[in-house]
Amino acid sequence: MQLPTTARLLPLLAPVHLLILSVIVLPSLYVVWLSLNMSSFGQAPSFVGLQNYVRVLADPAFHRALLNTVVLVVVAVHLELAVGLGMALLFASGLPFRRFLLVAVLAPYAVSEVTAVVMWRFLFDPDAGPITLALRALNLPTLDWSFEPSHAMTLIGLLTIWLHLPFTFVIVYAARLAIPAELYEAARIDGATRWQAFRRVTLPLLAPAMLIALLFRYIFAFRLFSEAWLLTKGGPARSTEVVAIYLYQEAFSFNAFGPAAATAWIMVVISLLLAGAYVLLLRRGGLAHAH
Amino acid sequence: MRIERWLIGLGKAAAVAAILLWSLFPILFIAVSSLKPGQDIFAVPPKWLFTPTLKHYAELWRSWGVFFEALLNSLLITVGATLLAIVASTCAGYVYSRHSGRWFGASIAGLIIVRLIPPIVVTLPLFPIVNALGLNDTHLVLILLYATFFVSLGTVLMRTFMDQIPRELDEAAAIDGASRLTILRKVIVPLAMPGVLAVAVFVIVFSWNEFLFAFVFTATRAKTAPLVISEMIGSIDGVDWGILFAASTVQLVPVLLFVVFMNRYLVAGLTAGSTKG
Amino acid sequence: MSKKPETKLTRRTFVAGTIGAAAAFSARPVLAAGKTLNVLSHKVHQTVLGSGDGDLLKDWLKAKDVEIAFTTFDSNPLQDRLFREASLKETEYGVGYLIDNRPTSQIAALFEPLEPYQKQDPIEDFADIAPGLVQGMTVDGKLIGIPVRHATQGLFYNEALLEEAGISAPPTTLEELIAQAKKTSFTSKAGTPVTGMVLASDLAVFPVMFARAYGGDFVSSDFKLVPNREAMESGLAALRGMFEAGSLPRSYATTKNDDQVTWLQQGRAAFTILPFARGAQLNNPEQSKYPGKIKAVEFPGSAAIKGKVAMASVVEAWAMAIPRNARDKALAWSFIKEVSSKRVTLGMAINGNGPVRVSTYADAGLKAKNALAAVEAKVLATARGAFPPFPEAARAQATFLEEVQLAVLGRKPVKDAVSAIIERVKPMMPA
Repeated sequence: MQLPTTARLLPLLAPVHLLILSVIVLPSLYVVWLSLNMSSFGQAPSFVGLQNYVRVLADPAFHRALLNTVVLVVVAVHLELAVGLGMALLFASGLPFRRFLLVAVLAPYAVSEVTAVVMWRFLFDPDAGPITLALRALNLPTLDWSFEPSHAMTLIGLLTIWLHLPFTFVIVYAARLAIPAELYEAARIDGATRWQAFRRVTLPLLAPAMLIALLFRYIFAFRLFSEAWLLTKGGPARSTEVVAIYLYQEAFSFNAFGPAAATAWIMVVISLLLAGAYVLLLRRGGLAHAH
Repeated sequence: MRIERWLIGLGKAAAVAAILLWSLFPILFIAVSSLKPGQDIFAVPPKWLFTPTLKHYAELWRSWGVFFEALLNSLLITVGATLLAIVASTCAGYVYSRHSGRWFGASIAGLIIVRLIPPIVVTLPLFPIVNALGLNDTHLVLILLYATFFVSLGTVLMRTFMDQIPRELDEAAAIDGASRLTILRKVIVPLAMPGVLAVAVFVIVFSWNEFLFAFVFTATRAKTAPLVISEMIGSIDGVDWGILFAASTVQLVPVLLFVVFMNRYLVAGLTAGSTKG
Repeated sequence: MSKKPETKLTRRTFVAGTIGAAAAFSARPVLAAGKTLNVLSHKVHQTVLGSGDGDLLKDWLKAKDVEIAFTTFDSNPLQDRLFREASLKETEYGVGYLIDNRPTSQIAALFEPLEPYQKQDPIEDFADIAPGLVQGMTVDGKLIGIPVRHATQGLFYNEALLEEAGISAPPTTLEELIAQAKKTSFTSKAGTPVTGMVLASDLAVFPVMFARAYGGDFVSSDFKLVPNREAMESGLAALRGMFEAGSLPRSYATTKNDDQVTWLQQGRAAFTILPFARGAQLNNPEQSKYPGKIKAVEFPGSAAIKGKVAMASVVEAWAMAIPRNARDKALAWSFIKEVSSKRVTLGMAINGNGPVRVSTYADAGLKAKNALAAVEAKVLATARGAFPPFPEAARAQATFLEEVQLAVLGRKPVKDAVSAIIERVKPMMPA
């Protein structure tokens, strides 16, 4: 019964699957082959087995890039979630001009990474940036991002939070709106304090949405490229390189396609592990409110 | 009691002010600075009162003609990618909404997983392939790439929206003798318009702003606006910040207005796209 | 259901709006030229050709009915892009600007051998182009690029700022330079905070010059890696000392080549190392706050080598090359031929290009316009490239710079950084 139906449905399914197959799946498999060979411009590929993986995994620069990426993912994404949660609760507690405020919060979603870098680079310019000047006037420490790698990472982190907070906020806020008011009513009648209501009602009911927002952001923060590339190009002394920049350098600056491909597959495997967790969660959640 | 309420109100006002400052200040700052005469941009402390001038915009038009060509490229690529993504995901979303079974479940899970592969991974192998097909530096290659990275999300979204359309409508139309394609076009799509618009918001914002693919796959003919702005960052000669702000503002304003007008669909799409499988 | 008409309207207006905007854009007047020549270069290559009425190529453009579209990048990204384009099946670019330390045998094979073109449609008085530069663009017996610019590095200083700090003459030894840079790290009369010296951190040129000031090098022309360890250590220690003393900008790690020009023009730095040819731009009254006050001398060697070894400043040569996969090679050659003519070479020199023709230096007009021509000619006599070409040169340069930055910023002792340079770059050296 199912097969003939599938055959008739094929023309409708074909565009999506053809695009994905030819643009994402097959090229990704070709990366596997590339990663097992050594090649450069004007040089025929030669098979080297897993040597490229060994080389990348043993490269201190890769370790640093991976560490930077992990720190960025862990710190920035969790901070973003905490802020997003706080904002969602603030919005849910009732605000005047809510629609206007919602639109204002969404605004950074429309900003491209390139334009965002222009803004933040200037705001934090070590000599003329208005935020730098303001901090200096208040005798507060400034963000010395062109000198201190940790400050540069902070700026990249701020930038990435600014760009993606709308996403996290919307997910959490929508989940918060879905919690029926009766539950809070019941909690109040039972004599629960605000904090208890938050711990016992809000948090458990928001948990699935927060987990999903987190996983999504893990996956997307892990591939971060443009913000770091446009802001520091990985410097000073390659100390703010993230995995995607490491890959780009190997591929397009050093023309070492083998190690670049190996890096790419390491990225794919990590992303797929995170993606697997996500799909598993969806499946479980999907069963709970089956359609 | 009254003091407590007053304090809460004050706290809320402070929080709202902080949110507004955080979200809007950087955007307003460059938009306003793009209208400042040359040296005022660097004035310490920053000047809030000044005579606005379109000098930087005139200069941009005069010396960065390539930026306006790039805007046109961005527009063409955005429209192309959006149309392709919408048509493809509407067709597939309809199938997934009306049919279920193990095969469909597995293939939609596959779609979601594939979408999560980092785009930079495919730049490496696609570079020689695109080149062998003679597609390098064409609008088509970016249209295909942008649409592909959104068709899986698009399909999931369309399915979610179409699930809410009663099947009886299809069946009634089928009894009247309408073909599957006609049902889709005449019955389903008009009702699933919010879904179509949600998909459109995603693809449009992404295609208009994307940097990495444009950076790798275009050179001169299909160069997009964000790419030209990044080149401007690289070749800035100190006092050119004004032109850079002008270009950023021109690139930003249309998509910002679009997001403002479509905010309902964006919110609906974000929620449905990530929490429904 | 009530939503239906509203959404339909939105879609229609959206589509109509898009088409309207597209039409408005295409209505923008485009110069109606028959052909377009795409050129991949550094911004400075485009600038020296002039623009508007001063466009040195305007007659050629009219005669050929051509429009030139430049795509410009900073030096290293430019080379990355050029090689990537040249390795494609076909490229839009007809001409690419190539640095002399990049063409290895593999890279050279990506470009068109130019002797046949020269034989068929010769460049005016080819023997006048400096033979050493032509030699540098000859790889495996094939000429792959026509020299168009040499950039010989000199020490620029702001005379007004030196005077303010009570310094009457520019330095003659590196030690004096370091002392003067420290003295000029102050707040100038104009109220601008001044940093003694500004240097970019992403180019090997500067640490190489400091090592050479002590008689050392990074990679010598006979491929010896760090031939004199002590000299390299002294060079990096000098840079480190300057950074510590505040004579280098705190933003050293993100300072780029273009920043050096801006800082000098704005009076934010007293010294820098730049090609002599930049003199015109630095003193341009439209951009510079100190027109006529920014002068240049030879970069001084240390007291230790003074009188014993001649200071070998870094010279970098650029050539115009045609990618093998370019579409209209005849047009590309015609451009190269025109740019290489005596007239355009002189015009570019006046606009601030290091001329590749010997005869150009003799021109009276240039001498009047470019006071630095004589110093430059003298420095050029003992100058050589930053390092010779080899396949892993890009990675070697990146590794070298990474360690230099660590040493200068004080994150690693100089000795350890030099050890790391030797250890890490060794596997990248040609066999």
